Amino acid sequence: MKRRSFVGALAAIPAATALAQPGIEAVPHYFSATQLSALRKLSDLIVPAVGDTPGALDAGVPEFLDFLIGESPADRQRLYRDGLNALNAAAQRKHGKPFADLTAAEADGVLTPLHERWTYAEPHDVLAAFLHAAKADILTGTVNSREWTSVVSQRSRSAAGTGIYWNPIE
Amino acid sequence: MPATTYDVLIIGSGASGGMVARTLTMKGIKCLMLDAGPAFDFERDRTLRPVYELPYRGFGKPGRFPHVTQANEFTAALWADEKQNPYSYDPKDPYYWVRIRRIGGKTLVWGRASWRLSDYEFKAKDHDGFGDNWPISYKDLAPYYDQCEPLLHVSGRKEGLPQLPDGVFLDDPSTDSPSGARFIAEAKKRGIPTTKQRRAQGTLASSMNLLLPDATATGNLTIVPNSVVREITVDKKTGLVNGVSFVDRRSKREMHVKARIVVVGASCLESTRLLLNSGLANSSGVLGHYLFDQFYVKNTVQAVTSETGGSTGYIPRFTNLNGEKKNYLRGYAVDFGSGGTPDPKYFPLYGEELQKALNTHRGRGFSATTMGSVLPRYENHVAIDKNVVDAWGVPSLHIQTRYTDNEFNMAKDAMNTLAELCQASGFELLEKHDKMVPPGESIHELGTCRMGDNPKASVLNQWNQTHDVKNLFVVDGSSFVTGGSQNPTLTITALAMRASEYMAEQMRKGDL
Repeated sequence: MKRRSFVGALAAIPAATALAQPGIEAVPHYFSATQLSALRKLSDLIVPAVGDTPGALDAGVPEFLDFLIGESPADRQRLYRDGLNALNAAAQRKHGKPFADLTAAEADGVLTPLHERWTYAEPHDVLAAFLHAAKADILTGTVNSREWTSVVSQRSRSAAGTGIYWNPIE
Repeated sequence: MPATTYDVLIIGSGASGGMVARTLTMKGIKCLMLDAGPAFDFERDRTLRPVYELPYRGFGKPGRFPHVTQANEFTAALWADEKQNPYSYDPKDPYYWVRIRRIGGKTLVWGRASWRLSDYEFKAKDHDGFGDNWPISYKDLAPYYDQCEPLLHVSGRKEGLPQLPDGVFLDDPSTDSPSGARFIAEAKKRGIPTTKQRRAQGTLASSMNLLLPDATATGNLTIVPNSVVREITVDKKTGLVNGVSFVDRRSKREMHVKARIVVVGASCLESTRLLLNSGLANSSGVLGHYLFDQFYVKNTVQAVTSETGGSTGYIPRFTNLNGEKKNYLRGYAVDFGSGGTPDPKYFPLYGEELQKALNTHRGRGFSATTMGSVLPRYENHVAIDKNVVDAWGVPSLHIQTRYTDNEFNMAKDAMNTLAELCQASGFELLEKHDKMVPPGESIHELGTCRMGDNPKASVLNQWNQTHDVKNLFVVDGSSFVTGGSQNPTLTITALAMRASEYMAEQMRKGDL
């Protein structure tokens, strides 16, 4: 094959998104194992799968947040690390086990800040600040996932999650 | 070959630069336009993409835009890069400087709200004794507003309000949702006026597609993108400006171009930065001073209503018009809208219960955002920070500004008024607050190169011409003396058109 026709053929190959391929998965690296377990549990509680609508775990949100927070400025990283540690500490204090091992009812007793009205005043409590931030991130991470948009798009016949992307400039 | 000298060199391609280019080239005047950013094609340079294919799933690269809350992963390439374009402020007084460097400037993301100022702004000092009047009054600018509104395809309704003069509008046939109508009725009972929005039509309404095409069609406009202007140059014999030194954005090669007249429309603070870096037009010592904008309290109230249905409206300034005594001067405007679903953060729930609540309230939201007048104060200012240079070696700005009790008291009054209106309308109030976004975030920065009759207290005369150098004009929002609570772009275009007509007449008479 001449070089020019090879390059032409290459351009015609559709580029695949790595994580959409069977057998390819993200490797979490930022959070510790206990932090990541707590984040998985929290994600499942914030956005559980309901009926055919995927939840945060189906959408790979904990692994995505491990990547996103790992790339984030220091104050965001601290909020998550301290928050996940506070979540595990509260679970240990109340029930003598890590957050990941709590029943839904036990976990609800630890997630009390999420039952309090949200205000513009920044919460001073580490756990409350973290839980409100994580609630927003887990929701967005789920709603913006391939798994969620494919189900919602089919249901509503809309192109959910599609936007006009400005290509980078030279 | 004789050296080419352009008639008019225009720096910046946004609302003001675009309007000057259109006005002058249509009169046969040869213009050169420089912009720091690239030219682009709406079709070629934008792609429809699903959010889940973006590397950060729509969250954007963390930390890339600490001061541009408007940026998201889809639009990241649109905004001026913060690392290439640094600036400084005292950490106690953060300032969010939002910039776009592309042909079309910030009009590419224009919210399109198009309100006229009135003599409550132009003659603000006459009404409340604070600060200064503009050197022009409403009647001086009205003929230009009349021309700009049709050019920008502004729709609206004539309401007969003295504080918000009517214009030349496309018809707005929209109706009010049931909840919107109740809110309007409750406002009326309390003597608070409401109006329809007045807005340029078309989501891409910008200098790029409304002003520059007419200008280029004349054959009199040359646009050179990717030109980062370093300094305006001066002819030492005459004291007049004679061109600019600039740097190619990509190669960083140094260039110079000559012109008879230089028009600066690089955006409020970029224009002032350029004059300061050039050591020009500051015999008064007020260049860089009197920085203001409008303070924003986003979603001052968030409520849910008993029925679905969406519509939008506007409360124009209604306080301190007739000698009443508030604990602040001037006033605020409000954008309100029904429909949509409140953000999940407002519901103290998670899991399936949260999804149920969101489904129950889908399309039943009501929210209102306060946009308040900020008093122009000498001490709120910008200056060159020699320690901070951009990617092209051009010294950047140190920005020092803060809001005062006048703004804080106004925000509190707005919050209480809007909460009362929501409750009287039968809405369930989820949250009310008076927390402003940092100065600058509204992207309505104004002042720092103000107009005035007195050359000792102002930089520009009433024609946007510098008092010090007669062939140097500054045509963007930096010329504002007051800003009211109205979004400024329409007034920027009207002033730019008026300045251009003056310029053309002076050139014709041989005075420029």
